[in-house]
Amino acid sequence: MILSLVKADFLKIKRKGMWLLCLTGPFGVVALQMVNYGVRKDYLFEQMDDRWLYYILNINSFTPLAIVLGIVILTSFMASIEDETNAWKQLVALPVSKRAVYLSKFTVVSCVLFLSSVHLFLFMSGYGLTLGLGTDIPYLRLMEYSFFPFLAALPVLALQLWVATVSKNQAIPVTLGVIGVILAYSASLLPDWVIWKWPALSNDWDHSYINALLGIGFGLLLYLLGMIDFKRRDVK
Amino acid sequence: MEYIVETKHLTKSFGKEKAVSNLEMKIPKGEIYGFLGPNGAGKTTTIRMLLGLMRPTSGSVQLFGKDMKNSRIEILKNVGSLVENPSYYPHLTARENLEASRKILNVPKKRIDEVLKQVRLHGVANKKVKGFSLGMKQRLGIAAAMLHQPELLILDEPTNGLDPSGIIEMRQLIQSLPEEYGMTVLISSHLLSEIDQMATRVGVVSKGKMIFQDSIETMRKFAQASIQVRVNDNEAAWRSLLANGQKADIGEESVTLQAEDDEQVAGSIQYLVQQGFSIYRVQEEKRSLENIFLEMTREEQAG
Ligand SMILES: Nc1ncnc2c1ncn2[C@@H]1O[C@H](COP(=O)(O)OP(=O)(O)OP(=O)(O)O)[C@@H](O)[C@H]1O
Ligand SMILES: [Mg+2]
Repeated sequence: MILSLVKADFLKIKRKGMWLLCLTGPFGVVALQMVNYGVRKDYLFEQMDDRWLYYILNINSFTPLAIVLGIVILTSFMASIEDETNAWKQLVALPVSKRAVYLSKFTVVSCVLFLSSVHLFLFMSGYGLTLGLGTDIPYLRLMEYSFFPFLAALPVLALQLWVATVSKNQAIPVTLGVIGVILAYSASLLPDWVIWKWPALSNDWDHSYINALLGIGFGLLLYLLGMIDFKRRDVK
Repeated sequence: MEYIVETKHLTKSFGKEKAVSNLEMKIPKGEIYGFLGPNGAGKTTTIRMLLGLMRPTSGSVQLFGKDMKNSRIEILKNVGSLVENPSYYPHLTARENLEASRKILNVPKKRIDEVLKQVRLHGVANKKVKGFSLGMKQRLGIAAAMLHQPELLILDEPTNGLDPSGIIEMRQLIQSLPEEYGMTVLISSHLLSEIDQMATRVGVVSKGKMIFQDSIETMRKFAQASIQVRVNDNEAAWRSLLANGQKADIGEESVTLQAEDDEQVAGSIQYLVQQGFSIYRVQEEKRSLENIFLEMTREEQAG
């Protein structure tokens, strides 16, 4: 049941530029560093002995922003596809559980974001290699900064999906999303418990896996709450 | 009797207001059930509860003898529906729209072509639905509802937006369903005339309450012609008829005979003549089903 729902949901996002979005997001993040390194490569090389690490940290100053923005667009978009002609009623009147309907939306958004993370890994590694940052290529670290931000952003994803699916008007989730993007941008000023800070992978313990694990755990919790609420409500 | 749809004390409140109140709907197998009521009567709300889209405030819904609360998915495998305005994905073609439902219903791909033919959309199967007329969208909605050949088809105002020829086509399609596929059909409308040629059973709802539910024949009996007689002294004539054991009503300017056939009318008139009344007019008044429906709902609204 869930597999056919996911397939149907992928069919519904056809011709809506979703796949373009999951290319442009990561490309944009890397492109900013292309400008940065293009203009003042020598200066940047002086900043840290580990040139790869410095490059990766530079990339990661924009990754959270792109992820949170991507989540807001994707979740709101998934909901608006059904909102547009009130297709929720048609969808839920099919022999499917409402829980599966919700899980399917979550799965599709996660898939697109995961693919974006793969793209980020490819673009980040690719451009990094052309810069001559050193012969020791830190693959693990590149993976860490490609995929952990996504995992750490799962709570934001779960929250946005929840608000987007139960709101009658997409202005509410989009407003929340804009606030989220601003919070993600000001991550360094925020205390560790703010979920929008997590994709930046910085915390008092200096272990990025903590953010990833917290993201998975808290993301799951918010996902369950959203699903229960979605199931409980009358269909729009 | 075996009911395909049976609701018990079905009630739905929005805040203080009861949109549906103690509704007992009963639809036997193979019937085309016309669900009638004026705007805001609670038809759509009832239908939403029948489909498990809304939770009743109290009461229960049983389809195929199974309870909606416990067996929603199992029940919905055999139900096709079109609720209010048709839902579709405008950026997809007609075929892709049906494919999105087909994937979930898990029926063979050839069903898409079959239903598209049935609603005569096969010529535009690969066009985006965005550009469809309202009637075409409506027909696409009906096609989607029939994809899995459901045992029960629930259509909420399906003729909305259709032109006269579209309405006739739709009527023919719906009429053929019980015979050809053994389907039971629930079709809502606020116009009796729209369904009186196909419905075999009617339920009339007003202000959330079911005020009439029976076969269309029973409803037609109400519509039988009555004979109005105007005489020199209506009141005396009326008393005299009643005294003679004949059914009659007194109106402002005439006496209404409730006669079943011509002979009875003849008898009553003859009797009046014999009693010495001067008869000025004898006229027939036909009440249309629409009038009866209007009266029913008006009484309810006044009361
Ligand atoms: N989600 C809702 N929230 C609040 N009130 C509602 C809601 N849905 C319906 N109502 C109210 O319930 C009543 C019945 O509405 P319903 O849509 O069931 O009528 P209807 O018989 O389908 O009318 P129509 O012929 O116009 O389609 C109306 O007074 C409406 O305002
Ligand atoms: Mg309605």
